[in-house]
Amino acid sequence: MCDLLSRNIDLIVVGGGPAGLAAAISARKEGIKDLLIVERNNWLGGILPQCIHDGFGLIIFKETLTGPEYAQKYIDEVKKLEIPYIIDSMVLEITPEKDVIVSSPKGLLVFHAKAIILAMGCRERTRGQIRIPGSRPAGVYTAGVAQNLVNLKNFMVGKDIVVLGSGDIGLIMTRRLTFEGAKVHVVAEILPYPSGLPRNIQQCLIDYDVPLLLSHTVTEIQGQNRVEAVVVSQVDENSKPIEGTQQRIACDTLILSVGLIPENELSKTCGVDLNQITGGAVVKENLETSVQGIFACGNALHVHDVVDYVSLEAQKAGKSVAEYVLGKQRKVKRIQTEAGNGVRYVLPDFIRRNVDLELFMRVVCPGKDKHIGVFDGKKLVKKKKFRKIHPAEMIKMRLKGSETKNVKALRVEVLEK
Amino acid sequence: MVGCALAREFSKYELKTVLLEKESDVCCGVSKANSGVLHTGLYYKKGSLKARLCVEGRLMYKRLVKELDVPCTLCGKHVVARTEDEIKDLERLRDVGEANGVRGLTIISRELAKKREPNVDSLGALYSPVAGIVSPYLFTIALAENASSNGVNVYLNTKVTGIKQVNEGFRVTTTQGDFTADIVINSAGLYADRIASMVGIDQYRLYPSRGEYLVLDKDSRDLIGGMVYPVPPKVAGYLGIHLTPTIDGNLLIGPSSEFIDVLEDTRTTEERILELMTEAKDLLPNISLKAVIYAFSGVRSKITPPNEKEARDFIIQEDLVDFINLIGIESPGLTSSPAIAKFVVQLVKEKRDIRRKKDFSPIERKTVRFNETSREKQSSLVNEDPAYGEMVCRCEHVTKREVLDALNNPFGVKTIAAVKYRTRAGMGRCHGGFCLPKIVEILEKEYGMAAEEMTLKNTDSPLFIGRTKDLRKKGV
Amino acid sequence: MKKEMICIICPLGCSLTVNYNQKAIESVKGNQCERGLDYAEKEIFNPERTLTTTVRVKNGHLPLVSVRTNQPFPKKLLFDAMDLLAEIEAEAPIKIGHKIAENLFNTGVDVVATKNVERSQRDH
Repeated sequence: MCDLLSRNIDLIVVGGGPAGLAAAISARKEGIKDLLIVERNNWLGGILPQCIHDGFGLIIFKETLTGPEYAQKYIDEVKKLEIPYIIDSMVLEITPEKDVIVSSPKGLLVFHAKAIILAMGCRERTRGQIRIPGSRPAGVYTAGVAQNLVNLKNFMVGKDIVVLGSGDIGLIMTRRLTFEGAKVHVVAEILPYPSGLPRNIQQCLIDYDVPLLLSHTVTEIQGQNRVEAVVVSQVDENSKPIEGTQQRIACDTLILSVGLIPENELSKTCGVDLNQITGGAVVKENLETSVQGIFACGNALHVHDVVDYVSLEAQKAGKSVAEYVLGKQRKVKRIQTEAGNGVRYVLPDFIRRNVDLELFMRVVCPGKDKHIGVFDGKKLVKKKKFRKIHPAEMIKMRLKGSETKNVKALRVEVLEK
Repeated sequence: MVGCALAREFSKYELKTVLLEKESDVCCGVSKANSGVLHTGLYYKKGSLKARLCVEGRLMYKRLVKELDVPCTLCGKHVVARTEDEIKDLERLRDVGEANGVRGLTIISRELAKKREPNVDSLGALYSPVAGIVSPYLFTIALAENASSNGVNVYLNTKVTGIKQVNEGFRVTTTQGDFTADIVINSAGLYADRIASMVGIDQYRLYPSRGEYLVLDKDSRDLIGGMVYPVPPKVAGYLGIHLTPTIDGNLLIGPSSEFIDVLEDTRTTEERILELMTEAKDLLPNISLKAVIYAFSGVRSKITPPNEKEARDFIIQEDLVDFINLIGIESPGLTSSPAIAKFVVQLVKEKRDIRRKKDFSPIERKTVRFNETSREKQSSLVNEDPAYGEMVCRCEHVTKREVLDALNNPFGVKTIAAVKYRTRAGMGRCHGGFCLPKIVEILEKEYGMAAEEMTLKNTDSPLFIGRTKDLRKKGV
Repeated sequence: MKKEMICIICPLGCSLTVNYNQKAIESVKGNQCERGLDYAEKEIFNPERTLTTTVRVKNGHLPLVSVRTNQPFPKKLLFDAMDLLAEIEAEAPIKIGHKIAENLFNTGVDVVATKNVERSQRDH
């Protein structure tokens, strides 16, 4: 490896956001004593401190909290349990042997970990990745970066805004910027339906008369030095711009809310298998990855829409990690799950039979009054009705141990009829 | 790049030299947006300046990149033939190269080409072992900083608005005041023809030609070993859309070629992006366009008019006493730049007796690139200086110390671009998603910059309109 | 009169169709719980929202503190509230729940901090 002194540790938790905090708390409560949370920001809480709007905590705390308040509950618990953490510190590399190299103002720290929880969260898709043509001026920001600058650092990104993407982040930032005195001229969405929750369309767009242009995208950015305008065009059913539908909208800022990508550079360095659809690790129902002793949870595993589920998932990861470290993990046979018709992905990738568990999935298209079926080959194992399904909302389905007793494989589908 | 190479070369002599640049930093024009390729001399007519200076220049790089601590490597190049006719073109290229003194050129079979570049399909290839890649901006910046260390005054944000012949030589009027010079070297790139006409030299006309590029994620680097070029299309001076690994480990697709009307129109366009994607897939079927992380473009300063078949040569000549023009320095401009500089100094030497300085210092050491050093060295760096321990750019692993050193550059440039081109912060796959707020915080806390002063690349590109509450506060 | 609206009380976001006259709600369709009925009534006659925003901080380790109204607040006063809050500078240290502004525009609604801000180490 390298010649630096390494110290042995039971558990490294990579990331001090909602996933990392909940996982560490759970691991500690289950008996792991020697652990460390490694956080690269200057604060704990991950993305939550900048999410100053409410709507968090409805499930776990039965109240509607703002992001910072939700985070504080876990930060207080970490401090109460005296769980060690370092900030301004970033994991540079994890080897398949579970050596963890951390760069920190305190030094280059090397740990030989018994177990690792990957909770790095996700990053935002960029202008370059969706290849918007045009100039490259100042004033193009992804929504999360704009949120950080406006809410944490006290910088106002612009005053005449166009937002691309009607996912919840784009909608929330539309409202936020409007509140701070900017004018959001339009929100463009490439799909024929909004990506975010209907309540956010109401309270972020309709409330403030912000037009929503469905089936539209930004086809050019103009302005040599600072954004001067964007051109939006209508798109066809293949999301290709339709010639002749271009509209030039004068503005000084373009906010991009065009998708989140689980961050898994470290997963690659330690040889963890990745799920090609989610971009996150392939995991078993106990959230262990393909490398023994390395677990994943939160947005690094798959992008969540409700932070409460991140915490619950992370709590499970913490429990599983403790089982592993304390030698209580049993070797079991598992079967594979598969995303079938209408389902974009289903997690976990591998599950035990005969135990109660939950499947998490996202659908490809929105729908009303749909059934989702779980099949073992041709045989229907379970079926559940949903009033509304939407790609923006994660769907859960509980499976009882008795329901998976002798199954060979599981496939989840949106039923047509 | 040529201007900075000239500045450094002249700084070796006992002369008072100033470098005038209209942009906010060095390396903002043509030099910033190119493939970073060190050519061997395959394409240029024997006896031309391009041929001679390219070959000379490439040989000078070995020592220069050591002195200036600039990353550079000889990764080799395959020019691939995809039709039978193209095999004949390969032979022609090899002959031109050999006539220009290039060594090691070999035509290899389809099987061997497949072995060398398994992801590329071809009928055969011309292999050029000593073609290399370098960082064009690190090189340009290092040349400028070394010139500055050796006494050259670099004036940024200084646009030349007029030049007049006076008794003492030339009076150069700029947006930052006047200069009087004995000798003027015109290496103004896209504007060289306009600068020349300021003193009545009207015979030059430049034709701007835009080249667009796509940058791929470092994950795609291993799809090729070295550079992969097509046989050059039958367009004057155009080498075709090629695949180049960058010295930093990305993969570049490009450049395209298109004459444009507006000089600094560095937009990227839907049509060219599509063309680049198609050509790339043709050369490299395994390329995934999901791996594209950025698109950029640059404008070439071409002296060859659009309708001419054969590319014209560099023009480097003293058209007026003590006024030397460099016109049409496009590819192989990067490779030739050190040789161009020596050539121009030679022109000056022929008429004047200029003495070499005894104390010229060729060495310019940069901040250690943290990401490229061993873990042991990283550890000792952090122990000495905790600012090496704090990551600012998560994708490229650029530390706070490197960002501070970039901002402490000798030219006083404190833009986001200044940090980007010196450290790579912001060039990774998340393109500033993590580092931008951190760099902004550094500008605020370490340099006391106000919100309105923070810019992307120049004073016309502010990041912000002010503080968060400004639009709501009374009287705003 | 008729109005279509999306209920914002919970993530279900039911689409409501509300029939009403000047004095009262006549009917509500589309809600999946009783809270939706209350929401519809409020939304027609006296729409309210929870305001979440930031306030500048003096002598704190952060330049801004995130805040919220401690109850739903009249929607028509939201931008006035934003203007008022823009003039305030809250002094650190600040704890979650700490009142930043009281009884906004005589509505009885307070604005409270949702983040802890410590006193800055640096001298000001």
